[in-house]
Amino acid sequence: MSTPVEAVFYDGVTSRPRSASVSVEPPETLVVDIPGEGREEPLRIRWPLEHKGMTWERTATTLRLAFGEHPRRVVLVRDPQFIRAFVLRMRYAGRQGLYDRSLQLVRRGPVLFLLGILAVLVAAYIWLLPWTAERLALVLPVSLDRKLGDTMYDALAPQLAVDSTRSVALQAFGDHLRLAPSHEVRYHVVDDDQINAFAMPGGHIVVFTGLLDRMTKPEELAALLAHEATHVEKRHSTRSVVRSLSGSVFLALLVGDVSGVVAVAARQADALRELGYSRALETEADTLGIHALSDNGVDPRGMVQLLELLQADAHDMPEAAKFLSSHPLTTERIATAQQVIGRVGDGKAEGPELRPLFEVLTRK
Amino acid sequence: MTLNSPLKRLTFTGKGGDLFSVLIVNWLLTLITLGLYYPWAKARRLQYYYEHTELDRHPFHFHGTGQEMFKGFIKALGIILGVYGLFFAAMHFGYPVIGLLVFVGAFAGLVPLIIHGSYRYRMSRSSWRGIHFGYRGDLKELYRICVKGVLLTMVTFGIYGSWFQMNLRNYVLCHVRYGSSRFQYKGEGGQYFVMNLVGYLLTVITLGIYGAWWMRDRFAYYVDNLSWEFEGGSRIQFRSTANGGDIFLLALTNILLLVFTLGLAYAWVEVRVLNFVMANIAFVGDADLDKVVQTESENKNAMADDLGDLLDIGIFI
Repeated sequence: MSTPVEAVFYDGVTSRPRSASVSVEPPETLVVDIPGEGREEPLRIRWPLEHKGMTWERTATTLRLAFGEHPRRVVLVRDPQFIRAFVLRMRYAGRQGLYDRSLQLVRRGPVLFLLGILAVLVAAYIWLLPWTAERLALVLPVSLDRKLGDTMYDALAPQLAVDSTRSVALQAFGDHLRLAPSHEVRYHVVDDDQINAFAMPGGHIVVFTGLLDRMTKPEELAALLAHEATHVEKRHSTRSVVRSLSGSVFLALLVGDVSGVVAVAARQADALRELGYSRALETEADTLGIHALSDNGVDPRGMVQLLELLQADAHDMPEAAKFLSSHPLTTERIATAQQVIGRVGDGKAEGPELRPLFEVLTRK
Repeated sequence: MTLNSPLKRLTFTGKGGDLFSVLIVNWLLTLITLGLYYPWAKARRLQYYYEHTELDRHPFHFHGTGQEMFKGFIKALGIILGVYGLFFAAMHFGYPVIGLLVFVGAFAGLVPLIIHGSYRYRMSRSSWRGIHFGYRGDLKELYRICVKGVLLTMVTFGIYGSWFQMNLRNYVLCHVRYGSSRFQYKGEGGQYFVMNLVGYLLTVITLGIYGAWWMRDRFAYYVDNLSWEFEGGSRIQFRSTANGGDIFLLALTNILLLVFTLGLAYAWVEVRVLNFVMANIAFVGDADLDKVVQTESENKNAMADDLGDLLDIGIFI
């Protein structure tokens, strides 16, 4: 039998506290002795520790035992040694809940624990999240890209001055090259002075006349189409969307409850990460575009020429800034492209069949 | 532990690091369960606050459990989805005005129910020295006060709001019980209005600095009008001992703490505030706290409490 320790007893009938003593007797029985006071009779509670009619809770300094049904009889113990021994007994009896255990663990060093958790979360965010997002994007069917792209294009089309004659010519040009084999690519020429071109998921590629009219060689156009077709083929839009969504969900779960400052900082960091990702995709489009040019028998230096064209225009055309903003710095891209060409080889000379189609397309 | 000490006072015994641990475990479990743990987290947090609030060195206890709150949470969610469903159905079938009326009407009409239900739940689940608190207000009467209050407040362009608030607080707090004893609140709309008007104007004139003193007045208005009445006629009057300078200093240091730790000091700030509040409520008068008898039955329905939570309505007036 353990030595009895001081406790307070509330009988659940009146608010009068009574002093009591508690101890544990074999076989695993809690004994509460409440001495008689004035007119009140002495009271003794014997309760088997594993009996579910007794519940226990504790704080850093107090153990609270409650017995029976409402109104419950309650015993408060503040003896640290008794509390420690009692919790240990409860653990062996399988009656220490997960919550009490976790709290016990965290209390040893809350700040250290938090830092540890944060490290794990940051690691998950940096490595696990992108991996999961890529997997998730691959699970989505290619037909979804197509539906998404069609919807986007239909929504955008009324605002675009589509030049159907030149679109047909561009389609002929593009069809001569083998780009984005798992998609049916549809090319559109839009009458607009901006030096811009973009690809939508599923295969709509839009080229603005502002960019088209600055081109002098068919390889430049082939390079542009190869770049945009890589976006389509590699499903960059879908992957970006999934990635950005997964990032937002992750952050919302994480900082949903934390103060505003942390939330704002986290969202800024996430925006930066997305920008970094979109730049990585541009580099991939450049690199795989060069490979595609080479495979099609087109001079891959067309990519470098295209980039130089963009760079030259970046100086006098402010709109170009828009095109470049999500792209890596053009100088860097040119250097990278040259390295890739070095590996792929110069490729064959210009395919003879592209020149006439290009001339049809650029004839004013 | 000293028993039956004649000195009656409230103390908060929580520690920042301790509360921080509770909040971290809550946060982590909520994260892992994708938010489902929320009701349990709420219960744990309330339990922490109650358990570390002591009157006469005897702690309060919160009996509510995550399970109860989870059930309430599901019911509350059902009600909200129901209202939204009606709203969208009305919109869909081309009655936008009716839809909007249903929407606004339902949520406004729920407020008295939320106050009533929350008080019933929270009070029933609170105890001190083994005796439960309780709320015995009448829902119909509460609706009457609210309808009258809202209408008059609209007609008087908001001025009646002070009287409305005091009527509500008088009614609700006068129906709070602690076993066989009860509480009483005597607020007057006129006084409350003038206090807030003066406080507001001075706060604007002093570019916010007077805000601390306005806060002192509001706190005092809450505390000083509250009393605790016992069977046999004895009573304890509550008295605020807070002063504006201390509130100003507390608020300033708390803001600095939060800003410089990016909010991580939240638990410590919370403890500082509770320490301050408890330390500044004094008890005047004498009554035998040992003579209170258990009278209230249990109420485990947390639906209204969770509904108030979901709609983000501060119900404790």
